Amino acid sequence: MLRWKYSRPLLGLLLVVLAIAPLFTNNPLGKPGLQQTMAVAFVWGALALTYDLLFGFTGLLSFGHALYFATGVYVSCILINHDVVSWWLAALIAIAVSAILAFLVGAASLRTTGITFAMVTLAFGEAGHVIVNRNFFNLTGGENGIALNAENVPQIWIGVFNTKYIYWLALAALIFTYAVIWWVTESSAGKVFSALRDNEQRVQVLGLNTQHFKLLAFVISAALAAMLGFVMLIAAGSAAPRFAESGVTIALLLMVVIGGAVTRWGAVLGGIFYSFASTRMQDLTQQESFKSIPEWIGGPIAEPALLLGLIFILIVMFSPGGLSGAYYRLRLKAITRKSS
Amino acid sequence: MNALSVKDLHVKINESHILHGVTFEVPTNKVTALLGRNGVGKSTTLRTIMGFYEGTGSVELNGKEILGMQTHKIVQSGVAFVPEDREVFASLTVKENLSLAARGKNNDDAYKAVYDLFPELDTRAAQQAGSLSGGQQQMVAIARALLNKNEILLVDEPTKGLAPKLVTEVADVLAKVAQTTTMLLVEQNLALVKRVAQHVIVMDQGRVVYQGGPENLHDDAWVHQMLGVSGGHK
Amino acid sequence: MDTFILIGITGIGLGALYFLVASGLSLIYGLMGVLNFAHGSFLTVGAFVGWWIAGKLGPDTSMIDFIIAMFVGGLAAGLFALLIEQLLITRLYDRHIDQALVTVGVSLVVGALLGGWFGNDLIMFPTPMWFLTAVNVGGAMIPADRIVYIATAIMLLIGNWILLKYTRIGLIIRAGVENRNMVNALGINVRRAFSTVFFLGGFAAGVGGVLVSVYSNGVSPLIAGSYLIYGFIVVVIGGMGSVPGSFLAAMMIGVIRQFANYYVTGLGDFVVVILLAGVLLIRPQGLLGKVRA
Repeated sequence: MLRWKYSRPLLGLLLVVLAIAPLFTNNPLGKPGLQQTMAVAFVWGALALTYDLLFGFTGLLSFGHALYFATGVYVSCILINHDVVSWWLAALIAIAVSAILAFLVGAASLRTTGITFAMVTLAFGEAGHVIVNRNFFNLTGGENGIALNAENVPQIWIGVFNTKYIYWLALAALIFTYAVIWWVTESSAGKVFSALRDNEQRVQVLGLNTQHFKLLAFVISAALAAMLGFVMLIAAGSAAPRFAESGVTIALLLMVVIGGAVTRWGAVLGGIFYSFASTRMQDLTQQESFKSIPEWIGGPIAEPALLLGLIFILIVMFSPGGLSGAYYRLRLKAITRKSS
Repeated sequence: MNALSVKDLHVKINESHILHGVTFEVPTNKVTALLGRNGVGKSTTLRTIMGFYEGTGSVELNGKEILGMQTHKIVQSGVAFVPEDREVFASLTVKENLSLAARGKNNDDAYKAVYDLFPELDTRAAQQAGSLSGGQQQMVAIARALLNKNEILLVDEPTKGLAPKLVTEVADVLAKVAQTTTMLLVEQNLALVKRVAQHVIVMDQGRVVYQGGPENLHDDAWVHQMLGVSGGHK
Repeated sequence: MDTFILIGITGIGLGALYFLVASGLSLIYGLMGVLNFAHGSFLTVGAFVGWWIAGKLGPDTSMIDFIIAMFVGGLAAGLFALLIEQLLITRLYDRHIDQALVTVGVSLVVGALLGGWFGNDLIMFPTPMWFLTAVNVGGAMIPADRIVYIATAIMLLIGNWILLKYTRIGLIIRAGVENRNMVNALGINVRRAFSTVFFLGGFAAGVGGVLVSVYSNGVSPLIAGSYLIYGFIVVVIGGMGSVPGSFLAAMMIGVIRQFANYYVTGLGDFVVVILLAGVLLIRPQGLLGKVRA
């Protein structure tokens, strides 16, 4: 068995620890600083998993995933700020809007495959970025984005001392996303997704309409991304154009590849690691000891993209299965060594 | 020594085991026909010799092992390829298609020989290869294989899809070329095979089931049993 | 009418910049099947090297100084491209998705290095005084730098045409774009053409980088991103593997963008993106591209 028999119980234990830790102030997770960092990391981990459904499981290389994430952020924010509906209804509407958008965009884009598909999704993603950036209809706040109106949102999420509630919201969102994606990929539809990735022709020969399945994966992934957009809105306190940039999708691609595209937990791990590393590196550069490093080394190191880019290149070249792929390879070695 | 010596060739493509220990000899300066029903692995064999697919076993060109070598190196060793579907470069002119293929420095003699065989290629030198007819494209495909000094010519179904008159023309050309070159010819057209082949290999389900002289080709019952077709035509 | 000419020519000028980026991208994808996301970093490398050279050549930048800076910038970018190809791309032969991913990694690393060393703010690019003047074309006053972009793009187009039509390596590239395997089957090591195409693409992007820095009023690692995206859009609309296609598409897109932006600020980007989606859905192989098997 490739799965280590203790991995599931340990994972469960880890989740319990993560959930309980903020209740006590004497551990690192008792402080709002780390809670905020981890909350954001959880959102990215979950978002990476939604991207993995497309790329790792169904073999769809999309460069416009940020569009649905940003839709979730912006639609929720606009609805909440203008007091149109209550906050949770706003979130649901944002998810619905994103799903419909994905349905339309997907129906059009999925007529193409491979690199062409990547370009089409890039185009739609950029369109979204442009809309948000140029403040069309005076709704999206342009380059500065929109600050979330704190009054229309449950006060439980407002204020530094309530950071742990944001933390729990993010953790819950991650667990929910994982559960949904686990259920989807283990279902019979999920098996079709994997088959699509490996050999689309064979699936067609079975009489299955590959378009419908691809579209299904596309819409599910977009809906979840929108939900996470809402969570990010709460965590960040504002909607900003950076959520709609192609850089977001590129980051997701990195997370998924670093973590391991074919495994669910790999994608989550990649997302958490990436987000955590970026934030931590930025904090690191503010410290005194860092300032003593010569500029020509310190300058580039301060940019998270350097280290992450290098890791990414190394993984693509030498360990394409990512961290989880490497883990399973080691497990295989350990098992075969044990049996010989 | 034989021009080409294939021993125990196994080839897997996308998890399908296509060739199961193919073994045969291609004698020098003779035309060897590689026959068999559709799908038995004839084209795969040629393409493996060309280095397009990986396989285990041994492929020796005049004693030199070429299995595992890169395609362009195999060709430089003296293997010329006329592929099924011709694969001429449609956006290049006829002359460009030929000059791309000519590897040596002093090709004037080679070009002259080629234009003797295919005078149309000279007149149509500036024409885009994509606008040529199927038969003309086949001429280009064969011509470019003849522009270099070759140890062996691998020809894959040269008359496929051609009208009967063109089949005869191609057959004439191949017969002429065969006089001075070693050839391994995959063909469905038995009339052509009977005309040029001095040696015959029959494959079935990824294996060689017959290797020998061409006498049996005139035996309709044998042909029907081996190839599942009637003897005179295809 | 003057406005029309002005917008039209500035649009063509912008198109010229897009073409400089796109020509390399087109051949690299057409011949090698590599979606080169590192192309933007070639642009940035060329820009920074060109800026450094221009600085060294004295406080006043003459036209000759500028041309030298362009050329050296292009050369540096070309050599960098060659390095990437030899170090990374060749090792991932025929693993197209991984090749594309690795180029993404390169773009991040280069952006971080240059951003770390020089910062992300715009640094003035030393420019000949003449660029700031305006030239009278048919009654419209065209900024002189636009003329330079267009001239450079035309020279690149001609140079490209000569290379492809009259040299052996050009012949190999044209054939390889159409059918890579058959070129190998003729005894030609098509991979040597890969290096050539990467180098030339890098060179063109590097030259483009210098010009983009003038157009954008400064050098910065952040500029390359949008030019890369536009480069891809141009390549896809023009047809992968077709340099004339890229030229046509680049001019079209530059002009359309300028006109759209004239009527509604910011509309240009949006219109181009919708145009891309439209072309992809109606004619996926682009204007002059071939339908790949």
